[in-house]
Amino acid sequence: MLQKLRQWIRKLSFPISLLLMGVLFFTWTDNWQVYTDPLRELYNRGVQLAGGARMDHTSEPGQQDGTVSGDTVPEGTEDPTGESRTPAVGETSADTQTETMTTEEPQPTEPSEELPKEVVYHTVDDSYFDDAVFIGDSRTVGMYEYGGLEETSTFYASTGLTIYKMFDSKIVAVPGQKKKITVEEALSEKQFAKIYLMIGINEMGTGTVESFMKAYGEAVQHLQQLQPDAVIYLQAIMKVTTERSGQGDYITNEGIEARNEEIAKLADDEKIFYLDVNPLICDETGGMVASYTYDGVHLKAQYIPIWLDFLKEHAVE
Amino acid sequence: MTFSSIEFLLWFLPVFLIVYGITPSKYRNLTLLIGSIVFYAMGDAGNLAPLMLSVLCNYFIGLHLAKRSPRTLWRKRLLFVTALSINIGILIWFKCRGGSAGLPLGISFYTFQILSYLIDVYRGDADREYSFLKFATYVVMFPKLISGPITRYGEVKDSLYNRTFTMQGLEDGMKLFVLGLAAKVLLADRVGILWHEVQVTGFESISTPLAWLAAIAYSMEIYFDFWGYSLMAMGLGRMLGIELPRNFRRPYMARGVRDFYRRWHMTLGQWFCRYVYIPLGGSRRGELCTIFNLLVVWMLTAFWHGAGWNFFCWGGLLWICIVLERQLGRLKFVHKMKVLPHIYLWLIIPVSWMCFAITDLSQLQVYLDKMMWLVPGISGGYEDAWKALSTYGGLLVVSGLACTPAIEKLYDYSKDKILMKILLAAVFWYCVWRLILEGNNPFMYFSF
Repeated sequence: MLQKLRQWIRKLSFPISLLLMGVLFFTWTDNWQVYTDPLRELYNRGVQLAGGARMDHTSEPGQQDGTVSGDTVPEGTEDPTGESRTPAVGETSADTQTETMTTEEPQPTEPSEELPKEVVYHTVDDSYFDDAVFIGDSRTVGMYEYGGLEETSTFYASTGLTIYKMFDSKIVAVPGQKKKITVEEALSEKQFAKIYLMIGINEMGTGTVESFMKAYGEAVQHLQQLQPDAVIYLQAIMKVTTERSGQGDYITNEGIEARNEEIAKLADDEKIFYLDVNPLICDETGGMVASYTYDGVHLKAQYIPIWLDFLKEHAVE
Repeated sequence: MTFSSIEFLLWFLPVFLIVYGITPSKYRNLTLLIGSIVFYAMGDAGNLAPLMLSVLCNYFIGLHLAKRSPRTLWRKRLLFVTALSINIGILIWFKCRGGSAGLPLGISFYTFQILSYLIDVYRGDADREYSFLKFATYVVMFPKLISGPITRYGEVKDSLYNRTFTMQGLEDGMKLFVLGLAAKVLLADRVGILWHEVQVTGFESISTPLAWLAAIAYSMEIYFDFWGYSLMAMGLGRMLGIELPRNFRRPYMARGVRDFYRRWHMTLGQWFCRYVYIPLGGSRRGELCTIFNLLVVWMLTAFWHGAGWNFFCWGGLLWICIVLERQLGRLKFVHKMKVLPHIYLWLIIPVSWMCFAITDLSQLQVYLDKMMWLVPGISGGYEDAWKALSTYGGLLVVSGLACTPAIEKLYDYSKDKILMKILLAAVFWYCVWRLILEGNNPFMYFSF
């Protein structure tokens, strides 16, 4: 008897371990969402089709689901009010929803019409950036890697950096140490004369222009607190190619333009300046020149100098 | 829907296997056919109708091609030529149309299988299939529908008539599948990021060592992607009780390009050999004729991969190599060389893959110049290559090892050991975890 059982276990060891690990995997890492999310969606759609009404959260989804999948959906894990997969940046879709509503309201206050003071820009050489820090996402990483400033300037840049997590991201390497410190810590320890900030493409998928600008404005204020003597250059978010913009996801040039317009308003032209390189890298369609980029988002290394030269020609001193 | 997607791994496959398992063996072909149709519809619903129409038409054509009566021979010939022309014409039309619409899913593969069936029936190498169900199952069975292996009807006929669905087969197939999945998810997708990064940087700016590293990375990516896919297909077949032909035999261990293409995508090579090269006379009509036949085969192979000029560069380069190898092969000492043929292969294959990968000819020119050390990188130094090596070096070494016979030997030796079974099960879930993390697309993983 025992012998036989042993034989069976030996024979079925692979499917058993596969299934067991699967159960563990779903329970611990994924919370069975791979199965529950689509089922819930199916169920919602089914309810909508059947009743034409919105989903009733109190009803029990279990039964109908059973007929759809036919297997492996454990009972009791379905919880319509429970947490669902959260978006990467941590804003729930509910927030997005309400804020979208507010954007559609007309804004009563027009920005006061005053003649903008003409800023006098100077042309400088690379040494201007010796006491500068560049903060940003993968575009700024591109500047770091191919701008030729990696030895002399400071870069707090990381792929995927967002305004929401900018200060708390552990991306700054400390010489001689393995661990990295946050941008906040790094900026508290060392003072810079100039800060170049270009950030905002990763945030396009979450929130609205308003929620983005709220975080952006706060970030700029915080930068001023940390670096009271620094000149802050707010760089317009680089646009993407028109083809990339039309690809159908959240990244569009219209969205970038809307954000850039708001970023420009933060400039006081005394300590905070707004620099927009887009006219130099965009074509007549309003997007990045297609030949300047492979993925439609990042400048190829050989075109980074356009950006760098633009910064060098737009220094205030 | 690819095999390495969450929908397939966690939804389609388990549900299908359960349904397939409880179906009485008499109706398993029907289950497989319906499952395959669902599979295709989940990937490319818009082109399901043309696919099924093509299956239906070719089924009837196949029935008529086998009729043997001298009186109606010309009719049979006419039908054969017409059917071939239409099938090939549709394929060419789609290939040349290009644009954003893309090809119907798997058309290159299923068209070639239909052609092989028609030709085999016409030539009398295979019997016509009276059962529409069996013929349709042969063409659209999901393990090989969208990326091969290109299977002749004769190779799977027996298992369409009579096959067994056993626990042992299921397990063996599952293990093969995991191996293929790991090759795709853990090697191809990851090593491919280096190639992607180099494209983002722009070929003009990279150093020669980085150009080589990226070309090697792409060589690894395309191999583990396709080999992994073929393994998964074989594994799926075995799960269901169908033995699909092998598509790769350690190609990077080959001695020279000729040998390489006897080991790379073998079923395509065999198709062209059987239906083009040998009917043209093969190598039996003198060297000049052979060279010409090879040229025809390679230009057709190039076109099969795509209508871009770069594919003809790729095919042309390989043709030149093969012709030269044929001439060198007459010298005795060449066969005694142990190392040089491998080195030659490892130098020429990455170059050929770049011709394959870069569709823009001027960009291809830039890249080849880089590889040939004609133009320095943007900084003049090799820092970029060092950086890539420090990030991807380990992965490249692992990939290189996985190209050797060692992996397969290890697998064959230990696949029935309990530890290996647990390891394979763990690898499966690790792959699933990575796929969930990356959202099915390694490049979506990139934020900006």
